[in-house]
Amino acid sequence: MKTVKILGSGCANCKKLEAVAREAATSAGVEAEFVKVTDMKAIMAYDLLSTPGLVIDEKLVSSGRIPTQAEIRQWMGG
Amino acid sequence: MDTFLHLMNGGAGNLATYLAAHVLLCLLPAFFIAGGMAALIPKASITRWLGRTAHYRVSYPAAAAAGSLLAVCSCTIVPLFAGIYKKGAGLGPAITFLFFAPAGNVLALAYTGSILGAEFAFARFLLCLLFGIGIGMLMAMLFWRDDATHDQQTDALFAEQASIGRGATGVLLSLVAVLIAGTLKVSLLTATVGAVTLPLPWAEAWQATLFQWVPFNVARGEEGVSVQGSLLILLLLLIGLSAWKGLENIVEGANRWTWIALGLTAATLLIAAMRLTPRVDGLEFAVTGRALAVGLALWAVLHHARRLDADAWRAWLWESWRFVKQIFALLVVGVFVVGVIRQLIQPEWIQNLAGRNTLLANAVAVGFGVFMYFPTLVEVPVARMFLDLGMHRGPLLAYLMADPELSLQSILMVAAVIGRPKTFTYVGLVAVFSTVAGLLYGAWVDGVNPVWIAIGLAAFLGSLAALLAWTLGRRAAPAHA
Repeated sequence: MKTVKILGSGCANCKKLEAVAREAATSAGVEAEFVKVTDMKAIMAYDLLSTPGLVIDEKLVSSGRIPTQAEIRQWMGG
Repeated sequence: MDTFLHLMNGGAGNLATYLAAHVLLCLLPAFFIAGGMAALIPKASITRWLGRTAHYRVSYPAAAAAGSLLAVCSCTIVPLFAGIYKKGAGLGPAITFLFFAPAGNVLALAYTGSILGAEFAFARFLLCLLFGIGIGMLMAMLFWRDDATHDQQTDALFAEQASIGRGATGVLLSLVAVLIAGTLKVSLLTATVGAVTLPLPWAEAWQATLFQWVPFNVARGEEGVSVQGSLLILLLLLIGLSAWKGLENIVEGANRWTWIALGLTAATLLIAAMRLTPRVDGLEFAVTGRALAVGLALWAVLHHARRLDADAWRAWLWESWRFVKQIFALLVVGVFVVGVIRQLIQPEWIQNLAGRNTLLANAVAVGFGVFMYFPTLVEVPVARMFLDLGMHRGPLLAYLMADPELSLQSILMVAAVIGRPKTFTYVGLVAVFSTVAGLLYGAWVDGVNPVWIAIGLAAFLGSLAALLAWTLGRRAAPAHA
């Protein structure tokens, strides 16, 4: 069971990132819980310069861009 | 009912004019540049100059550069503002960044330039840069004590180093060349090189119909739509449709629609750079110097883009498309509404209130800018409407400086990061600086001797310094007692 956090204030890229990450989890057969983090202070707790940020099991794996499904599957270890 | 139809017609006419005349050669390349900046310039290449140990001579220009190169939308502005303040160089550069980003980014500059004139865009850019740094430094001086004690987190975030790749530099520079070739008004570019007449006998009748739909009235600043404009609107719709199919999932790879959308975009830019004139025997296509220059610059973009790796160009196209989706829809609605409202406002109101460059006119313009909220870039067509209705250019600049910097939304956002006392000080400073900027620019437009303008600026800065010294003195006094 992975915990996937999407960091972002709700801009277009954050929604896109969530959709891509959900698809990646489904296609890799990884069970994951998705959490959306929209509070600025909580986001800034991770070291990132621009949203959207992707956090898998409390580790920031990407920020400021939308990774491909293949990348996300790799980070999920699936 | 008649009034309603009249208003709707005003809105639709305004929209058609904008799409046909103003959008293409400036906004299309600008969207691609903005996307390229977001995707191809590594943030660390600029933010490494913003670390806690950075000297102010480095950190303020770096903050301004970050404002114009990195921050095109709120997705970047908010975290970067918080980051610069909390983990980087401190309050001053963070404020400079916040003030400069909405006016100094490429979309705002290109759009202001094409609608209000290059001189106006330059004045907006220069005054925002100067006053952004000024306000940042003032804030840092006023709140130096808070700044010294604020949380001492590591600045590992800004220690990272990176540089921009050669392919990316080439793409960005060629795109800027497309933008300049498309918008610069010099005789070399407007001269006709050759002309072809296609046998399209309906062209003249179609032009007459267009002028009937969208009335053409120079006195009211209504421009009408040309045959060329109607062709460009059609092409824009086609680009929109193909981009929806071709760019929505670009991160996973390109498809047939991607190439159709890009090809259509290039074709649209070329047609917009030509001059189409309806004649008795058909439609004349005049190839201008501009069309050749745009073609050459587009070829350069292609040449450099081929050197980007797959991830980079996909990210570039995605970011460009995202800006189009995010900003263009708002702009279309905004321009329509401006067209409706213009029918309701009497030019005399504006002329009485802000027709001359007075202190009151500038203050009213700033007040309007603070209390009205327009989405990204919509402030520009609003400003154009005021200009057409007879507003003086000085108050107009004051309005354009205050509006994007201060809105309820941005005030709340800033307050969440730096607290209320600092936010209110910032709002006050922006209001004062914008008013002064409007007065100075207005005086320059009116042809006042530059010496007097310099004296005015010096007097303003002097009184500001005196006020600051007085405030700091009062604050320091209780500490001694």
